[in-house]
Amino acid sequence: MAKMARTWWGERFLDVLTISMDVGRLKRGRSYAGPNRILEFDINGHRATATIRGNINPYFGVYKEPRYKVSVQFRQFSAKQWDEFTKSISHNAAVISQLLMNQMPTNIETAFSNVTLDLLPRDRKDLIVKCSCPDYASPCKHVAGVIYKLASLLDRDPLLLFQLRGMEFAVLQKNLASSPLGQALIDQFGEQDPELEFHTHRYTDPRLETKPVTSLKSFWQGDSPLPTVTHTDRSGSVPAILIKRGDEFPQFWHRHNSFVEVMEKIYQRIIDKNKASL
Amino acid sequence: MHICHGVWVPGSGSTFDNEGRFVFWIESDESTSGHKTGDHPNHIADPDRLDSFLESELLFTTTQVATLDCDHTPIYMKLPGIDNRPLPSFEMAQLKGDYLPDDFVWNTWRIQGLWIGQPLLFLKELQFMSSYARSDIHIGSDLAFWLQFAQQFRNLMHLHQFLPVMKCRHSGTDISTGWSPGSGMYERTLMDFAISMPDVCKAVSKSNSKSTEDSRFECISGMDLLRNFSENQVDRLVANTPFTKQILNQVDRTWLASALDPVRTDSSEKLENNGPISVEQWKHWRLWQSEILGRTTTEGDEQVSGFVLGIRLSQIDDGEDGSWRLDFFVSSTRDPSLRIDLEEWWQLSDNKRNRWLKHFGQQFERNLLVSMGHAARICPLLWQGMEEAQPIGVDIDLPLAYEFLKNDASVLESAGFRILVPSWWTPQGRKRARIRINAAARSKSTGTESSNSGLFSLQSVVDYRYELSIGGEVVTAKEWRDLINAKSPLVKFRGEWVELDGAQMGRMLELFQDQQYDTDSTTMVDLLKHIAESDSNDTEFVFNEVLDHVLQGLLQQEKIETLEQPGGLAGVLRPYQKKGLSWLATQESLGLNPCLADDMGLGKTIQVIALLLHERERLTTDKNSESETIPPTLLIAPTSVLSNWQKEVERFSPQLSCMIHHGGDRADNASALADAAAANDIVITSFSIARKDSKLLKQQTWRRIVVDEAQNIKNPKSAQAKAICSLEAPHRIALTGTPIENRLTDLWSLFNFLTPGYLGTASQFRRAYETPIKRESDRSRANQLQQLVRPFILRRLKTDKSIITDLPEKLEQKVYCNLTKEQASLYQAVVDDVQNQLEELEGIQRKGMILSTLMKLKQICNHPAQFLQDGSAFSETRSHKLARLNEMIHEALEESDSLLVFTQFTEVGDQLNTLLREKHACPVYYLHGGVNRKRREQMIENFQDPDSLPGIFILSLRAGGVGITLTQANHVFHFDRWWNPAVENQATDRAFRIGQTKTVLVHKLVTLGTLEEQIDKMIEEKQALADSIVGTDENWLTEMDDSAFRQLIQLNRSAIMEA
Repeated sequence: MAKMARTWWGERFLDVLTISMDVGRLKRGRSYAGPNRILEFDINGHRATATIRGNINPYFGVYKEPRYKVSVQFRQFSAKQWDEFTKSISHNAAVISQLLMNQMPTNIETAFSNVTLDLLPRDRKDLIVKCSCPDYASPCKHVAGVIYKLASLLDRDPLLLFQLRGMEFAVLQKNLASSPLGQALIDQFGEQDPELEFHTHRYTDPRLETKPVTSLKSFWQGDSPLPTVTHTDRSGSVPAILIKRGDEFPQFWHRHNSFVEVMEKIYQRIIDKNKASL
Repeated sequence: MHICHGVWVPGSGSTFDNEGRFVFWIESDESTSGHKTGDHPNHIADPDRLDSFLESELLFTTTQVATLDCDHTPIYMKLPGIDNRPLPSFEMAQLKGDYLPDDFVWNTWRIQGLWIGQPLLFLKELQFMSSYARSDIHIGSDLAFWLQFAQQFRNLMHLHQFLPVMKCRHSGTDISTGWSPGSGMYERTLMDFAISMPDVCKAVSKSNSKSTEDSRFECISGMDLLRNFSENQVDRLVANTPFTKQILNQVDRTWLASALDPVRTDSSEKLENNGPISVEQWKHWRLWQSEILGRTTTEGDEQVSGFVLGIRLSQIDDGEDGSWRLDFFVSSTRDPSLRIDLEEWWQLSDNKRNRWLKHFGQQFERNLLVSMGHAARICPLLWQGMEEAQPIGVDIDLPLAYEFLKNDASVLESAGFRILVPSWWTPQGRKRARIRINAAARSKSTGTESSNSGLFSLQSVVDYRYELSIGGEVVTAKEWRDLINAKSPLVKFRGEWVELDGAQMGRMLELFQDQQYDTDSTTMVDLLKHIAESDSNDTEFVFNEVLDHVLQGLLQQEKIETLEQPGGLAGVLRPYQKKGLSWLATQESLGLNPCLADDMGLGKTIQVIALLLHERERLTTDKNSESETIPPTLLIAPTSVLSNWQKEVERFSPQLSCMIHHGGDRADNASALADAAAANDIVITSFSIARKDSKLLKQQTWRRIVVDEAQNIKNPKSAQAKAICSLEAPHRIALTGTPIENRLTDLWSLFNFLTPGYLGTASQFRRAYETPIKRESDRSRANQLQQLVRPFILRRLKTDKSIITDLPEKLEQKVYCNLTKEQASLYQAVVDDVQNQLEELEGIQRKGMILSTLMKLKQICNHPAQFLQDGSAFSETRSHKLARLNEMIHEALEESDSLLVFTQFTEVGDQLNTLLREKHACPVYYLHGGVNRKRREQMIENFQDPDSLPGIFILSLRAGGVGITLTQANHVFHFDRWWNPAVENQATDRAFRIGQTKTVLVHKLVTLGTLEEQIDKMIEEKQALADSIVGTDENWLTEMDDSAFRQLIQLNRSAIMEA
């Protein structure tokens, strides 16, 4: 079965479903996570709401395609708990560094034994759900669909989990600002929305300049000697080295296979197939 | 004469897709026939000639050309010109001896070129092919620039310094995908190359507008042009790549799928598959890209401050396993010596931190965190070191330390982090487990070895004994086995850390056990080959004292023990010549066949003569073989130097006898040759006779075969080379003055003569060395080849520091040549004619007749055409002197030397000017009485420009004898002789004056058996003659009596040589 989340935290997030639902509902729930089923979706503070297209089901007396309202929220932490939590993460370089790179810190739960805060939901009690469908079971498959959707959003934005657990963004910022490490993270928030850049041409369109030509010799031969080129050792180079600085699943990458892995293959292929020119 | 140019023409127009074109065009010294206004008048515009140029002139194969995807295209370039004509390129002007004016205007010219569809492929092939191209084809600086840039670009590609990109079209939110180079390394490359880009590369005119004169030069920004080229090429590489179904599946429904799809036009299907790219996706890509490339790399010029994160591994105690630590440090990008450990950083006061921040840049701590995160992604171990507010490093154990060294360190390093590891891990400091080969020269105390000679004999063999060693220390098989059984990749052995590969050690142990009781023996040649070809990672050599001494002499030629000058040598060997003699003698005593490749003028001849004398001297001191006589040495040389050799032998060693085996009256059967040879120490013959008389020469016993100007056997398939290689003798020596190391096929041919099989068969050699080195620039192969051949080649340059101190500032030598048959008969006819007239004429008539006779004879010695004045060919085959001059000029130019040629005859100067221009693709200047002052100054200035190509300056003795400085030249040729040495010396001094930094080599050409030889003798004895007698002109000669005059001009028929 293909995984529904690509990151470890997305998967952990989904664990709450597996412990609170039967296999059949869980499986059907998957198909409710896509845009065909979810007509409206919104996250307001710590609560996610959605309108879901249901199935016609004469057995239950449903003859017209139904719309169900779903609401999902998680158990909140108190302001005091959050306070302690943010203080402790803002003194941990590993945590901040990973958050800067849009990654859920691997040690997010274990590192804070003094602060008992299970950020990722642990059991059924962490989950508060409502659905307008006639299914007696809760969570139902529609709720599962919404939670799958949340998991895929979390994959790309780990900080969403903070929000879902009751941490307001403004408060988070305020708390982080008290430490230099936290401030670094706040600075980055401001840069998350780059301005769209437009290009008239695919390739750099060379500008014109007026150049004083000092002598015909310099016109034909240049003013300084050509840089020496040393032949780089090709055997020891690391594939896709630039890509490896970035995330294994960059935000633009929606697939479940690793972006870095496929890029390694692509680079290798490009070099191999152009041996004659390179 | 052709100059090849290359231009990158960026795409123009308003469409989004602005693919550029690489256009190759050829400037020619012929004018384009039937060109229209606006057409560049001097280039190859004819479509058929353009098409065939790569094949016919640059020797590309048809298949090569087919893969380049060529087409004709006109381009428009802004070039400097005057009088409504473009000026020739600087290279063309230099080669043609044209002078570029100070004032010019800019015009746009239409040029027909070849549009090369695969520029990277083309530039790579061209790099390879240009070394084989004809000498009248030159690569212009613009094309040379692209060749070099393409090479660096390939490096960038191999290091994967490019990324998939999204570009948003101006029109709206239509976002397209592609690939683009990027990274700090790319930006640095662009900056470095933009500075040195010749302006001509930027001179492509965007518009096709007709030529309008302009006093300003408006051009394309060099940086932008390089970006445009690079971006185009990356996209092309991806478009050229067929991707597998597997890869395509793994990118399905992502924007990357469209970036891999070369077909851009078919966008409807693509949209269906992937959907249009949203602005949100673009933003995600943009953030991702800036995270990867860093914030400062987009605009290269802003990168003034920045830092690099470093990680240092060290052991913190001395235990067997040890505790280890990884520590973080940062250093400035610009000045890596500005370095601070994070441990120290956190303790600094704000003030001190601020000082560092000037070097590390803005938002240092945030960037530091991101940088640490990047590093930790590659090496997750580092996360542990970051679990605090002020991270400094992490403690680790031995297996983790090994893991870090083995894998992470190099990945981190290539990702741009600075990595410091203990010295025992570095390639220099690393201890290795190896098989040790103890090689010992078997000492032979036969008495033939005079202890002072330090040489050991031809028969000496080398014994092998095998051992196991770690880090240079011998270990027993048991210790070795224990280490294998420890199963740890990193062990402390005798107090030092050693990395061990158990599996490999196991194989080595087996090998050792097979061989340990054998004592192999081998020859010197095989030993040298074994050393060069063995992998120092698993094999080490240890030599006994004698062998070590010998090898040091072979591998480090400056360390060779110097022999004393042999008795019987007239003249004194310079210190480097003594070294050369010792080296030759050592080589021969080891059964090796050497190549002496000293620069022209350093005296290869005298070193060979000294070797022959040394050999004879040793024989006489050796009591055991008193009766033995040494068979003659066969010397093979170009026809034009045969007599020169003979003369030199006579001069330096009267005791050695030599004969020339050449001409119609040469020995034609084995016994006649044997008789003649028996009486001589040296038999000199020409390449052509060596081929013709191959059977005959094979029957004779030779002591050694010496090949002078060994480049004459560079074609191994030629009958000449085959014949010479098939001659047998205990010793072989090759002499050459041209650098050989860089022409790999020539190198193979050389060794095919010296030590057949040493470099494998020709095809093995091509596969193992030539192709990898030339095509793939394989450095390890090149090093290996160097190692293989270095022991056998002694090449010293005039400019070597150690040589300069041995050389006088001026070195004069006579170059003796012969008359051809044609010259001889003309000469004899003139002499016969004079005999009769001498007795009849008197007074002024006699004087006139004498002077005109001298003139005629000198002309004949120079060249029949000069005497006949019949417009016949001024060809080398009709005059050995001319042939020799040409050969020597070729050699000098090969050494990148410039030279002067003096002649007293304007008609010779004219002819030389034409001939040398034809033969040598280098600047040729000709200064004679008819040259006006301005032009004369321009010539001198161009010639003296240190950046100009090495060139030839021809001067008439009268016009160029005084007042000018031509110190760029370090060779002076006197094509004909003047009676007064003072006049010759004055001419020589053009090069030999203040400002000259090299040794000046003066070559005086003398035709043997003619009045030139007599003039030479008289000049030699000039001290005996008062200067008053030897005036500056020839008038005093008219005072000679009849018999003296007859003697002066008489022809010695033995000095005639057939071509």
